[in-house]
Amino acid sequence: MSPRAAEHVEHTATGRMVFDVGSQHPSTHGLLRLAIETDGEEIVSAEACLGFLHRGIEKLGEHRRYHQLPTLMDRGDYLSGIHGELASALAVERLRGIEVPPKAHWLRSLLGEINRIASHMAWYGTFGRDAGVTSHFFYSMRDREALLDILEAVTGQRMTFNYVRPGGVIADLTVVAESKIRRFLRTFDAHLDEHQTFLGGNELLQKRLRGVGVIDRDSAMSLGLTGANLRASGVPYDVRRDRPYAAYSELEFGIPIGTTGDAMDRYLVRIEEMRQAARIVRQCIEGLPEGAVMAKLPKALRPREGETYACVESPRGELGVHLVADGSETPRRFHYRAPSLFAIAALEQMLPGTLLADAALLVGSVDIVPGEVER
Amino acid sequence: MWGEGILAGMRITVRNMMREPMTVNYPHVKLELPDRARWAVAAKYDAEGKPRCTACRACVRACPHHVLVLDSTRRKKGPKHIDRYTYEVGACMMCGLCVEACSFDAIEMSRTYELACLDRKELTRDLLRDVDAAAVEQTNSPKPKRPAGRKRKRSKTADE
Repeated sequence: MSPRAAEHVEHTATGRMVFDVGSQHPSTHGLLRLAIETDGEEIVSAEACLGFLHRGIEKLGEHRRYHQLPTLMDRGDYLSGIHGELASALAVERLRGIEVPPKAHWLRSLLGEINRIASHMAWYGTFGRDAGVTSHFFYSMRDREALLDILEAVTGQRMTFNYVRPGGVIADLTVVAESKIRRFLRTFDAHLDEHQTFLGGNELLQKRLRGVGVIDRDSAMSLGLTGANLRASGVPYDVRRDRPYAAYSELEFGIPIGTTGDAMDRYLVRIEEMRQAARIVRQCIEGLPEGAVMAKLPKALRPREGETYACVESPRGELGVHLVADGSETPRRFHYRAPSLFAIAALEQMLPGTLLADAALLVGSVDIVPGEVER
Repeated sequence: MWGEGILAGMRITVRNMMREPMTVNYPHVKLELPDRARWAVAAKYDAEGKPRCTACRACVRACPHHVLVLDSTRRKKGPKHIDRYTYEVGACMMCGLCVEACSFDAIEMSRTYELACLDRKELTRDLLRDVDAAAVEQTNSPKPKRPAGRKRKRSKTADE
């Protein structure tokens, strides 16, 4: 690619320029630095520089007892704490062979989907901000606030729940929480239509999103993308359906997929996912079985030597936990598969060739959480 | 028609402009916390105002970030003496594992959420200081003693 020479201007350097977007730029959704090489307005190459949010969660996990692991997982992907907790709890349950009561399964699905909508609402708000829209951010926060209220009423915290544990969940739904969920469900579909009309229906935004940041089916698979980013490329892979956990085998839900894999598809897939998540919440609240929410467990968990991998469908994709146990109270190795890390790899691939103004938009369209990328 | 979506969006903006505000004017108005809200750890006291803590240290062991420190002295007779039971509120993540571990209902996750302070020393708090711990009530039958001469076996890999 030859540098674009400015016409009528002599002695002007028209070489490529490398500069950093981030690490504290609001459009980077946390602390992500992108070293972007530009030629005029066009991006030639992009490199994600990681490490600004590294807290050593994997190493810390080796010094945590098994029932303390959810406290770490909450802080990996902080927008969807329930999913992180669930992945670690599933791994421990598999290692130790714990039978989880059916009600706990349903509560995990219920709270997981509420958390999914809350996370997608945060994405929806920030994604529009990246495109230059402001007011919808407050409408999205209105809905997210209602969801965080529900989560706070059930779990006791708004973001770092520590609710799902090996063996079940710590507490049952309360009457207040249930009425809050019902109240939320009554208005949510109308609100979602409003969101979709406001942002997705806007022709200017459609023009900016269509055909931008295309990841085709094959490269999405080879990059290891999961979640909405993969489904937007037309691959109907969803952990909830393909490797069911919690109560998902008994629930009905659709898996939205895209056709072209551009930013618009990723947007539409996430919006439809929220609708499906609300459908699951409705089924969970109607079909919630009676019974205990926690299996009877000894105070100290000492799984036998062995290893296991458990994964869940987090709002960002396949969130997995690989545990290696050595028979002691703490894991020997604790690995956390973060779906956002793969989305960043895709981002490096989709940025070259696009305009600099679209960089922030594309970072928003893959929905990354640097907290889980760098863990 | 091109532009219809933009007009529809504007209608939504106007509709939202007319509705009641959804925020509250903190700190003049405060929202009510739900019953399960977990904030700073606090010690609990019995009806006579004595601490319920027996200095068993279950909370200290349960804490993932080691924010609780309990120094106690064992005495020949009677309950232990708590020299100092400190709590590092700045490092606490309010997971509630300590309260779950406590078998004596001696600590609770309080509902104090305004935890900002002007001096970092205030982030280390004394939950209890220089008091006698509560006596462990023998409500359960005492554990049977192990027969003499047999060592307790505990293989490292065995499941409990």
